[in-house]
Amino acid sequence: MSDEMTDAQKEAFAAKLRREVGNTGTPTTARDPVNQPMIRHWCDAMEDANPLYTDPDAAKRGPHQEITAPPAMLNAWTMIGLVPRVSDPEDPASGVYAMLDEAGYVGVVATNSEHVYHRYLKLGDHLTGVVKLVDVSDEKQTALGIGHFVTTETEYHDQHGNHVGSMFFRILKFRPGTGRTAGAIDGDSTTERPPRPRPSRNQNTDFFWQGSRGGELRIQQCLDCQRLQHPPGTRCPGCGATNMGHTVACGKGALYSYVVAHHPRVPSFDYPLSIGLVELEEGVRLVSNITDCGPDQLKVGMPLEAWHMQTHEDVSLPVFRPARLPRNLTTLAFDDVNVGDELPLCPIPLTPTLIVSTAIASRDYQDVHHDRDMATKKGSEDIFMNILTSSGLSARYVGDWAGSDAVFKNLKIRLGAPNYPDDCMTMSGSVTAKREADGEAIAEISFQGRNSRGPHVTGTVDVALPRA
Amino acid sequence: MTLKYAYHSAIAGIGATPFTKDSGRTPMDQAVEACLAACEDAGLPPEKVNGMVTYSAEQNPEIEVARNLGVDELTHFSMVHHGGGAACGVIAVACQAVYSGAADYVLCYRAFNERSWHRFGAGVQDRPAGAEATEVSFSWSSPFGLVTPASWVAMFATRYMHEFGATTEDFGRVSVVDRAFAATNPYAHFFQRPITLEDHQNSRWIVEPLRLLDCCQETDGAQALLVTTAERAKDLKQKPAVIASAAQGAAEDQHMMRSYYRDSITGIPEMGLCAHQLYQSSGLSADDIQTAIIYDHFTPLVLPQLEEFGFCQRGEAKDFIRDGHLERAGRLPINTNGGQLGEAYIHGLNGIAEGVRQIRGTSVNQIGNVENVLATAGTAVPTSALILSQPN
Ligand SMILES: [Zn+2]
Repeated sequence: MSDEMTDAQKEAFAAKLRREVGNTGTPTTARDPVNQPMIRHWCDAMEDANPLYTDPDAAKRGPHQEITAPPAMLNAWTMIGLVPRVSDPEDPASGVYAMLDEAGYVGVVATNSEHVYHRYLKLGDHLTGVVKLVDVSDEKQTALGIGHFVTTETEYHDQHGNHVGSMFFRILKFRPGTGRTAGAIDGDSTTERPPRPRPSRNQNTDFFWQGSRGGELRIQQCLDCQRLQHPPGTRCPGCGATNMGHTVACGKGALYSYVVAHHPRVPSFDYPLSIGLVELEEGVRLVSNITDCGPDQLKVGMPLEAWHMQTHEDVSLPVFRPARLPRNLTTLAFDDVNVGDELPLCPIPLTPTLIVSTAIASRDYQDVHHDRDMATKKGSEDIFMNILTSSGLSARYVGDWAGSDAVFKNLKIRLGAPNYPDDCMTMSGSVTAKREADGEAIAEISFQGRNSRGPHVTGTVDVALPRA
Repeated sequence: MTLKYAYHSAIAGIGATPFTKDSGRTPMDQAVEACLAACEDAGLPPEKVNGMVTYSAEQNPEIEVARNLGVDELTHFSMVHHGGGAACGVIAVACQAVYSGAADYVLCYRAFNERSWHRFGAGVQDRPAGAEATEVSFSWSSPFGLVTPASWVAMFATRYMHEFGATTEDFGRVSVVDRAFAATNPYAHFFQRPITLEDHQNSRWIVEPLRLLDCCQETDGAQALLVTTAERAKDLKQKPAVIASAAQGAAEDQHMMRSYYRDSITGIPEMGLCAHQLYQSSGLSADDIQTAIIYDHFTPLVLPQLEEFGFCQRGEAKDFIRDGHLERAGRLPINTNGGQLGEAYIHGLNGIAEGVRQIRGTSVNQIGNVENVLATAGTAVPTSALILSQPN
């Protein structure tokens, strides 16, 4: 067993792994050419609505004049698929993985992915990838466990032998149960929290709590003059009627004011605690929590959308998260973008469906992305998002802001806290550089996606923008 | 409508216990001591008192205080609503009582162990659910963790900063002014402990945008004031502080500390209502006020109070403050006792006592040529204010 290895044995093992460094594997040709069904499946799963990927008419008017694959799909095309894994003796990476598995480092998590795109892939393009092992690290203690980082570089060529892109990729192979937090009691997640203060209610306000229990944000409305009122009263302040009903708010609003509470700490809440005064599109305001973004990301005026948080068996509270803005339908011009510009926040609720469907759409059949039992056996708390999806969602985020015609030149990400189900990842970003290169006008966007545990994805992307 | 009791009454006596963090005594003990001290200060035998006014959150019933003072007959007694918002309201009600003949000598008091017993800053986190309107009103904020006075005020502060470009430093400057006066007031908790703006900026967050040094203290102690007619006051021991006017105000769509639903939340319309009544009934204006006690439970709401009383235009309090006008040599030195951040937090009553001292000329931080002193009460709740003037 590797935990019983002496330092000398460890060194010998690392040296054995490293002997493979510099070797390249046999070229792997994609099972299928670039095709519309796989693209559509990807776009559906990632909720990427850029029409250049699926709508031939829109694509014809776009920068490529025809349908292209989302660039972040680059390594999806040559993924092995749901077939038994046969270790390729020629492939130095899979050889190293097998050696690590055998030595007990069966946990696997991808940590870095850097794509470079020389051109967008068109329907019918048939990709071949060649993997080169570029590094195997010494044994490291990481938060997840003791393991080795394995770094590869893959070059992708089309059916004509033209170089279309490349990928720098790093994974951690680790021994489950050897993480820094293994066995330790995490105060916040395991301590039983007392419930929040229970809303007091009576006949004047029951409608509100009945509504929120069922996922509706109800606002009191005068049935005579239609005037809205919150908090509810017994009589219309506009016309004096006592004929009061309610309307169901659309759930969209903007942050009118906010506070971030630090002290004193009430045990029912997590601190720092963001509390907002939200002005609904319907015109009334209410106090609520602003979830799924850091206190430092709050801004008066930011668009919000409601969701309902269950706090007691029979109580749900209407709370708010940053609103996902509609896609930008007119691509930003290079001159309209300035260094320092901030991208709007974008929440991505991490449903099990999202995690599983995106893994499959990116042809990543590793069990840790869809099978909870296997995921926990391999040292994870639950199934978690695969790295190709983190790339895809990052690209969607930047693309939705920049517009359909922005052309991705590269996409570099680093992963941190895993994206587990039933959390929410909120994307933020800003323009960090502008430059002209090879006749193209390039904006560099730095972005981050944070979930409740911390940053999940941090990265940069270069996009070419039209000049006007 | 105009207040008929303008210039009719006066504060004839003031009395207080030491202000501490752990009195080691009951609030009742302290209430009685402060009331006796106010009578002593005025030279009035306590048995002559026949009116008593206090305000909500007071836990020492006036009848028990009266029993301990040796007062046999009370012909006026009342409890004014809304805690610190009633600090000047108790004086207004006392004025009404002596103007109407309901009482001759009225004691107004506040006594508590707000630090060593129940901590006021803890807020309403432990209130049980209930169906009464008071409890139901908390359901629009408490389930979200908005449970403390600091958090209620912070919501106004963020919006004020957003609309007018004020910064947390502008709030800090109020704190620095208070602490500068406290530093030279031996009665103040923070005697000889002034702070700098840097100290303020380095103090920890309580509820952003409020830092520790934006928040008043919690104090054990008591303060009492004796109100009678200006005529009777002439026969007592001290120079009367004539009550030019005293008024209460609650404005449209008023909520307790959380009037967040009005078209604008950067002003304090209930304080504007007080200002209007005071100026109209007294014939005075901002130009006639030399110094003021501006209620400072939390610094941000000092700014709109200056605007409501016309010391500066709306949104310009930050400039007024940056120009040093609240300081010792400024246009309007405020809270010369150190305020509730520097001296003690007796829900505004200790500030009114300082106003009396400014009229008498006996403040440790005496301002020159004081004709009229403004005092205000707790903000964000239904509130009150008064102007004290020199006797003729
Ligand atoms: Zn109506």
